[in-house]
Amino acid sequence: MKKTVALLLALILALTASLALADTFKMGIDAEYPPFSYLDENGEYAGFDVEMCKAVCEMNGWDLEIVPVNWDTKLISLDNMEHDCIWSGMTLLDSMKEAGYVLSFAYYDNTQVVLTKADSGIATLADLAGKRVAVQLGTSGEALLGDEEGQLALAKTFEGGAPVTMENFTVCGTELAAGGVDAVVVDLPVAQNLAEKFGGMVILEETLGSEQYGICFRNGDDELCAKVQEGILKLVEDGTYLALAQKYGLDENVLCLLYNKAE
Amino acid sequence: MTIWTMMAKMSEGLGRTCAIFFLTLLFSLPLGLLVALLRMSKNRVVSGITKAYISVLRGTPLMLQLLAVTYGPFYLFGASVAREKLVPVVIAFSLNYAAYFAEIYRGGIESMSLGQYEAAEVLGYSRLQCFMRIILPQVIKRILPSVTNEIVTLVKDTSMAFTVAYQEMFTIGKQIANSQTSFLPFVIAGVFYFVFNAAVGWVMGRAEKRLSYYR
Repeated sequence: MKKTVALLLALILALTASLALADTFKMGIDAEYPPFSYLDENGEYAGFDVEMCKAVCEMNGWDLEIVPVNWDTKLISLDNMEHDCIWSGMTLLDSMKEAGYVLSFAYYDNTQVVLTKADSGIATLADLAGKRVAVQLGTSGEALLGDEEGQLALAKTFEGGAPVTMENFTVCGTELAAGGVDAVVVDLPVAQNLAEKFGGMVILEETLGSEQYGICFRNGDDELCAKVQEGILKLVEDGTYLALAQKYGLDENVLCLLYNKAE
Repeated sequence: MTIWTMMAKMSEGLGRTCAIFFLTLLFSLPLGLLVALLRMSKNRVVSGITKAYISVLRGTPLMLQLLAVTYGPFYLFGASVAREKLVPVVIAFSLNYAAYFAEIYRGGIESMSLGQYEAAEVLGYSRLQCFMRIILPQVIKRILPSVTNEIVTLVKDTSMAFTVAYQEMFTIGKQIANSQTSFLPFVIAGVFYFVFNAAVGWVMGRAEKRLSYYR
């Protein structure tokens, strides 16, 4: 009897040890964020970020597990060990650094833009006064519109003195197309995507400001961050970075790792 | 941001939460009774249609019904979407809750003995009089605990209105949680819902007491 128990215990120990050895990298994504991370026609996760991560994992011999997260509680689930990073067109914010998270270098330059209907009569940011403007909850656009050093002053001119927050970009786009709101504040690539999907939409030339995408890790995971950064730099060198960007229709001018290489 | 600022901000959304709650009760309670009566109709077509209505509304998530009522007209007919989301939200909530209330009413009505209808007929009551004066008051007494259950659930379900961008209390809580990287707004929301439901429980408890005559 005792022997069996001991054997069982040894087996369990061996099993847990082998589980711990097989490194799994859990990538936290917003699964509704094309072209960075989304479900493709075949029901598989795809996108620029997803494929970059896949390549980095291959390089390091990690098993990749993709974890779709709730964007407005992404930091909570990260702390909760549900995933090891947030890598999904995420804007690097000072507030994250202040809260102790480890942030990677930027790998993409982004611009916050205003998407509106072609016949809305809105041509400049000043035209947004008194208009209903939507933004997705938990995005950098929302943060920007609530930041005194950002665009809070502009947000105060909107109808109701603030933007309307929505759950995801599909709802934002539908609201805009169906006349529920007059404009949507959104990242440039997503705006291009929505404009293409719904038609009859334009992006204002005047932008709300630029920012950069990066990857967020838990406090203390500096080593993991360094390893991932190393992998990304290799992908920049061997041309995968550029090739993937072209595959997903990203503008070459925003690939900051290409033109920063000299520095 | 201090806890008091958070609470003040979230209280602004509380009025909208209450609007969903009271308007839904106002419409779904009578609608539920109507659906229950139609469901018990001897006409097979009528009872079949209401049966289907109940099974669809109980069998699909409220979140999908909210999306369907709000954005369905746009995707089907290209109709524009209302700017004030209270109307579609209350329509979706009322339709959904009426289905649940209907089954509660039906259970109550079918638990009444047939002898009461016969006795009322002998005493010269019309069918309507019998239902309104004899059956319904007893049914209400009997179903009150089940109705309280549904009402308590309704308080918590109001948070689902965020799906269609209706800025109620929980939505504001999420916004604050997000911008402050803090869990505190969720705790505050929990307290808000609990206090709201404690009040509901107290009111319903008093109602039950007042209706406990003949006991």
